[in-house]
Amino acid sequence: MKTDALRRWLRIWGTREAYQGLLLVAPTLLWMTALLIIPLLLTVVISFGGRDANGDVVYGFSLANYLRLLDPLYVGILWRSVVLAFQTTVLVILVAFPIAYFVARAPAGRRNAYLFLILVPLWTNFVIRIYAWIMILRTQGVLNGVLGWAAGLIGLPFQPLDLYPSPGAVLVGMLYEFLPFMILPIFTSLEKIDESLFEAAADLGANAVRTFLRVTLPLALPGMVAGTILVFVPVMGSFIVSDILGGRNVVLVGNLIQRQFLDARDPAFGSAASIILMAMTLVVTIIYTRRFGFGEEIVRA
Amino acid sequence: MNAWNSRPWRRLLALSLVLALAACQAPSPGNPPAAGGETPAVKTTNSGFACPEPQPRLPVTSTALNLFVWTEYIPADILECFGLVYGLQVNREEFSSNEELYAKLEAGAAGYDIVHPSDYIINVMIRAGLLQPLDMSQLPNLANIDPEYLKLYGDRAAYIAPYQVGSQAIIYDSERVPNPPQAWADLWRPEFARHMVFVDDSRIIIGMTLLSLGYSVNTTDAGQLAEAEAKLKELVPNVKLFDSDSPKTALIAGDADLGIVWNGEAFLAQREKPSLQYVFPREGAITFEDGFGIPKSAPHVDAANAWINYVLQPDVAWLLLQDYPYTLPNRAALEFARINHAELYQAYTDSPITNTPAATLLAGARVEDVGAALTQYDRIWTEVKGGQ
Repeated sequence: MKTDALRRWLRIWGTREAYQGLLLVAPTLLWMTALLIIPLLLTVVISFGGRDANGDVVYGFSLANYLRLLDPLYVGILWRSVVLAFQTTVLVILVAFPIAYFVARAPAGRRNAYLFLILVPLWTNFVIRIYAWIMILRTQGVLNGVLGWAAGLIGLPFQPLDLYPSPGAVLVGMLYEFLPFMILPIFTSLEKIDESLFEAAADLGANAVRTFLRVTLPLALPGMVAGTILVFVPVMGSFIVSDILGGRNVVLVGNLIQRQFLDARDPAFGSAASIILMAMTLVVTIIYTRRFGFGEEIVRA
Repeated sequence: MNAWNSRPWRRLLALSLVLALAACQAPSPGNPPAAGGETPAVKTTNSGFACPEPQPRLPVTSTALNLFVWTEYIPADILECFGLVYGLQVNREEFSSNEELYAKLEAGAAGYDIVHPSDYIINVMIRAGLLQPLDMSQLPNLANIDPEYLKLYGDRAAYIAPYQVGSQAIIYDSERVPNPPQAWADLWRPEFARHMVFVDDSRIIIGMTLLSLGYSVNTTDAGQLAEAEAKLKELVPNVKLFDSDSPKTALIAGDADLGIVWNGEAFLAQREKPSLQYVFPREGAITFEDGFGIPKSAPHVDAANAWINYVLQPDVAWLLLQDYPYTLPNRAALEFARINHAELYQAYTDSPITNTPAATLLAGARVEDVGAALTQYDRIWTEVKGGQ
């Protein structure tokens, strides 16, 4: 009896297109509700609460946490995070473009090998790769060792450079971490450029620079746009790179939030900061996509 | 082609390697060495440590023990032995800060039989009703704790079985710091700029700044805190890095020449780099105590009591001198080490880093919960670090 009912039910649901869609989307919907929407709502509720003497959440409605974020101290931290995310994105584009160009213009047989090489580092855990940068940048690290050796060869005095920990080291770590996420979309854009476009540009008398500016760059733009979203958003919220390479001396909004849930035992303030971070990221992304689009061609590809 | 590359040679080499490895293998727990008559077979850990029998052996019906403890703070042999001698499954989760422990328990995490808090969070946990009072009738081995050191725990001894105590003070590299600091206030000297590593702990660093000004580490006075903030703001740009996970790494690798670390960390650092020295600052060190507590929600209280007794028995607790050399308040274990591990005992007692008299620790400053004022401390911390 029961199986009959189930079969009938499945037949009805399985044949109507609208229901089919609902059935297909159900797992994702459940997942998103349980792990995104409910936690997000909780965060919003807690952000209006407060903290008791032990550091437990006191539910209520107060804007105190949001007003506290208007303090120049926290505005400064938010601003620094935006600036760092912006710097990282620009730097990543500048470094990723030549690499993507090189790979896209390489003979088809080698292209996959190059892409493979770009992806191989991602097999190692992200935190371990960031720790590896300490070995490179520290006072008696690899970089200072090589520089000292080179200076010794040409007989120059050498004072080890004070590279780690520093805000510069954080920027290097971010650049390293997010590079592949920019290379791949730009590569996808560049790869699709028809060879004949370059021939046409040459026929019309354009030199290499002009061809690059008028043909290559505009056609690579969708890749850069998609890559920018992939890089900017995670950098805004990251805290591990700044913790490890900044010697815990570089406070970004991610670090601020993390501290509230642990050392400061103030989840309400941490929730408010999370909501503001999300809102800011959303605003930046909306403005950006209004101007440049989502990099639709990449999404479609 | 030479002889080395020919097949028979290689096979022989591989075979001899396998045989050599097999010969090196310690007897596995499954095949204990034959023991005579009624004495129980000695159980041995993977590292070859022969597990002492529990003294006394409590009647335990539970088949598991769930620990929630500090990372890298309990010798692996103790963990393995406890499971072997009582024949139960030891599950372990780790945290790396008191706040992490508190956040999890407070959020209703159940199932832990033993937690391992330290410092001020012990009082917060007691106040929040997260711990059950210890059943002293089940814990005869608490008598192994030196009464002088037990004083450090005060009323908290009703809830916490002492594990280790220690201090936070100044460490410096005597080869690279010609004029070593003698007081917290000396850390502000310009010659130390960008040569220091501090633990990343707001209460410790703000606390030592308060001490350098002559105030209490637990002050809630807004004026004193403001003064400390202004003073700390001058110091933070001079700190090369904050690292609570392993501050000794930077000192050993030469990234830093001095810093603020725990005494156990200092002892291990000195083992690798003898030029490192540990000094109690004139204003007083910041001291700590930690120990094992049993949460109210613990499902295996019998196993938890057995664990506490086992960790406190002398032939087990001496392992701490070797693996995590802080200050050991267990006088029976020290006596055991004096007789059976003389070299280790000597190193411990000779070192001013580990062998700190109880009176010195009692006179040190102790971080307490400051209640609502914690928000102020956090603000100061964010301000001095992030307000550049």
